[in-house]
Amino acid sequence: MSDATSFEQQQRASARVLLVPLCLFMAALLGFPTLINLWYSFSDVSFQNLVGSFVGLDNYVAALSNPKMWQALGFSLKFAVLCTVIEVAAALVLVFILHPLLVKRPWMTAILMLPMMVSPALMGVMYRLILNEFTGPIPVYLEMMGYGVNFLGRGNIYKTIVAIEVLQWTPFAFLILLTARQTISYELEEAAAVDGATGFRSSFHILLPLMIPALVIVLFVRFIDSFRVFDHIYVLTGGGPGNLTTSISIYIYKLFFVQHTLGEAVAVSILLLLMSLALIASAMRLVVRRS
Amino acid sequence: MLRSNFKTATAALLATLLSGTAALADITILAWPGEPSESAFRKVLDLYNTTEGAKNNSKASVIYFSQQGFKEKMLADVAAGSKEFDVMLTATYDVGLYAPFMTPIDDIITEDVYKVVSKNSIETQKYEGKTYGIPTDLSLHFLYYRNDLIDQLNSDPAWKAKYEEISEKILGKKLSPKPADQWNWDDFIASALFFTKSINPDSPTRYGTVLQMKNLLYNIMLWQGTVASNGGDWRDKDGNITIDSPAYKRGLEIYKIITDNEATPGDSSTYEYGEANSVFGAGQVAFMLQWNAAVPEFNDATKYPAVAGKLGLSHEPAGSEGPKTHFHSLGLGINKNSDKQDEAKKFLSWLGSSDALTLYAKEGGSPPLAEGPLAVIAADRPEMALMGEHAAKYGFVMNGGTSAKALGIYTNQAENFTGYWTGEIEEDEAIANVTADMKKAFAP
Amino acid sequence: MIVTRRSRLDGVVHAGRWIVFVAVAILVNFPVLSTILTSFKTNADINAYPPKWIFEPTLEHYRAVLASPNIDYGHYILNSVIIATTGTLFAILLTLPAAYAMARHKIGTGWLLPVITNLRALPLIIFAIPFYFMYKQVGLLDTRLGLALISCIINIPVALVLFVGFVQDVPRELDDAARIDGASMWKTLWHVVLPLSRPVMLAVFLLSFIYSWNEFLFGLILTTKSAVPVTVGATFFVTSRGIEWGPTSAAITLGILPPLILGLFAYPYIGKSMLAGAVKG
Repeated sequence: MSDATSFEQQQRASARVLLVPLCLFMAALLGFPTLINLWYSFSDVSFQNLVGSFVGLDNYVAALSNPKMWQALGFSLKFAVLCTVIEVAAALVLVFILHPLLVKRPWMTAILMLPMMVSPALMGVMYRLILNEFTGPIPVYLEMMGYGVNFLGRGNIYKTIVAIEVLQWTPFAFLILLTARQTISYELEEAAAVDGATGFRSSFHILLPLMIPALVIVLFVRFIDSFRVFDHIYVLTGGGPGNLTTSISIYIYKLFFVQHTLGEAVAVSILLLLMSLALIASAMRLVVRRS
Repeated sequence: MLRSNFKTATAALLATLLSGTAALADITILAWPGEPSESAFRKVLDLYNTTEGAKNNSKASVIYFSQQGFKEKMLADVAAGSKEFDVMLTATYDVGLYAPFMTPIDDIITEDVYKVVSKNSIETQKYEGKTYGIPTDLSLHFLYYRNDLIDQLNSDPAWKAKYEEISEKILGKKLSPKPADQWNWDDFIASALFFTKSINPDSPTRYGTVLQMKNLLYNIMLWQGTVASNGGDWRDKDGNITIDSPAYKRGLEIYKIITDNEATPGDSSTYEYGEANSVFGAGQVAFMLQWNAAVPEFNDATKYPAVAGKLGLSHEPAGSEGPKTHFHSLGLGINKNSDKQDEAKKFLSWLGSSDALTLYAKEGGSPPLAEGPLAVIAADRPEMALMGEHAAKYGFVMNGGTSAKALGIYTNQAENFTGYWTGEIEEDEAIANVTADMKKAFAP
Repeated sequence: MIVTRRSRLDGVVHAGRWIVFVAVAILVNFPVLSTILTSFKTNADINAYPPKWIFEPTLEHYRAVLASPNIDYGHYILNSVIIATTGTLFAILLTLPAAYAMARHKIGTGWLLPVITNLRALPLIIFAIPFYFMYKQVGLLDTRLGLALISCIINIPVALVLFVGFVQDVPRELDDAARIDGASMWKTLWHVVLPLSRPVMLAVFLLSFIYSWNEFLFGLILTTKSAVPVTVGATFFVTSRGIEWGPTSAAITLGILPPLILGLFAYPYIGKSMLAGAVKG
């Protein structure tokens, strides 16, 4: 008995070793930058003086009192909520419509998944081409039908970047929900189908609750990803016109590389890190409580 | 078996990762992206590598970067002590910002260089008495217009009547067509309206003009001729910020009227240099304000058949102070952190030779040549004489426009003024934001 | 009577499903489709009005892109291939042993696993700035190795989740048998777990490769010349010249094709990796 326990202990000890490389790597590549971040956020570091000296909370005060920070944060929140809701709703409806079709022909799913394999930055460049007012196919066709639309014009640019995000990532939400739908056992489906006559609605009622874990994941992941959006907006609008499409990621990038207020840029980063950690912690508590 | 394969593969991979450094005497140049100067500069490098470079046993190569974010990236790189490039870009408006990271090159600015490059352009590469770059391009603005269209506007009675009707209706005063070199800003606006299909269904072009209103600092340089021509400036003699002057408001208004009447493409708020050229080159607009660098492009009939042979050039429209144009020079200087100071200097002193810069001009670059070499290429590049003349007659630099803070100020103006044109913020707010930012920047 | 009406209704519903499928497939894939087509059109066909869908294909733009003297596109593609491959290998080397320890011995499942799997939720921009300075100090700026380390970090969460799930599914008896033979933990990992891991390894490789290939932000900030990845390189075509549709489309097509093709095989794993994190984590 005691032999077995000590063997088990020995095993656990050597198993710990297996974790060491990963932990060291993460500490070096993420822990160290976080410490640098912390120091910079309390110093007056600049491109001319990369060491800087301690300035207390100045950077945080500057960061929090800058209305543009709140504007960018507001943009990201609104953008993330809007995109997530549209994507997940569209995906859910599509799962119920397309599941019977795809369950027999899985290869067809791959066709719908293609957009999410494309780099968002290049997706932005592609839309820059196809939405061009003079030669882009979409405006040209709309023009032929008698609608002149400036997708990248000032009135539409916001809708356009939301639409691009939604068209690229609805497939992702669809895929997760479809996977969840397909793991629901046959018996349950049968039970759902017993009510025959009112088919669609009742299957919705019975199957939907079973998909809630997947829904939570999709909502969470899509919200996070849209919240930190950078690539396609940077390529399409550079955050403009004015600050209309400046997300929080683009805002930090601009503070640092364009305005050269390094300390303030890092302070915003730290605040964002704290926000994300709070969000993650609460999400994890949710998951733990459930299980 | 599998294991040894894996090992070999890993070793090969690591070798690839770690290798790839250039031979010792090769120099790398970080240059300004954008056609046609990009292709022209490459031809110049070819000449160097086969002649002078071969003699020095040195090879020069060039790297470009996206125009969007170019200056930002260059600053971050030099500040971080990057050695990725030995020769880097300098510009009149930010030589003060980059000077701490560059090597002065006064020792290679000899009498011979002054015979090739105009003296005043070398002045524009100086900061606190030291020269940091060999000027390679003079940058100013022209009014580009379609000869055929503006001629017809001035001769066709029906067009003339329509023009008067439109100007009266929208601008509230009856204007008559004028030749492009006699325009003031009202004529500019009225012509933009006239050549817009939604306002004048008979217009041969879809829009009158194309404004570049992406949130980008160069777009403010292009715009601010509207301000200077009415006597506006960043600061007065005592250093007070004068962004709330009538001249600034008028300048903002000129773009605003054109935007609000949709006489510029609806997507203009995402446009910069390249997009504007595409639109003008495709014959979709009648005229535009644009950097001089684009002129050689429009003489290329295979690329822009709609415009080739019909391109007219003029100075910008006049304000109360007559016509004005922003101007600056771009040049190449030496990265202080580079290990190849001598090779870089040798290259730059060759670049200041007549061989190098006349070739550059012939291939489409716009070097600020002194009179001698200018005469040599006059047949190939007729507009280059015009550039020298315009810079001397109409050129202006904003008060404070060469300071270390200039780049940041332009950037801030771009953000606020493009925001105003697209209706995101009010004019007062834009002006107040810019004024506050400039006060901070120029605070002692 | 009822039966026929019923089956007719079924037929209509079935047709409806097909219509929805085709419409959605076209809608979401339109940019990719249009860009690929444009890349094979001659300049005359690109400017044709109305747009042509049937035309004689040409490779001239691909030639122009790959032979361009100004932009070394082949080099960018090679960069992306090396960065994505190396980053993926690093991620596998680091996470497989850790996953074994976590799944078999329940070490680190309390906080390490959740923390790492949730790293995906952090906005990467917050690390961009310190990385810039850190890389400058150690000479990793503008190197493939530098970007490979970044893609490794990006991929660790997904790789770890998939590997933990996989090890949980390996029958314990196999380990025990090896252990009774006196094999050390490393040996068990090498001889028992690794050979079984081929399918999950493929999944991790495909996903990591795609995610690494598509990274943009760090490629933009941390490279100048030597290590520019294709996602960043392709944007060079648009910003600094008049819009050259043909070459730009060809450049984009080259930039999206590798993940697109891998994606045809990888997509089922994306769903699984996401749900596995919730069910087992």
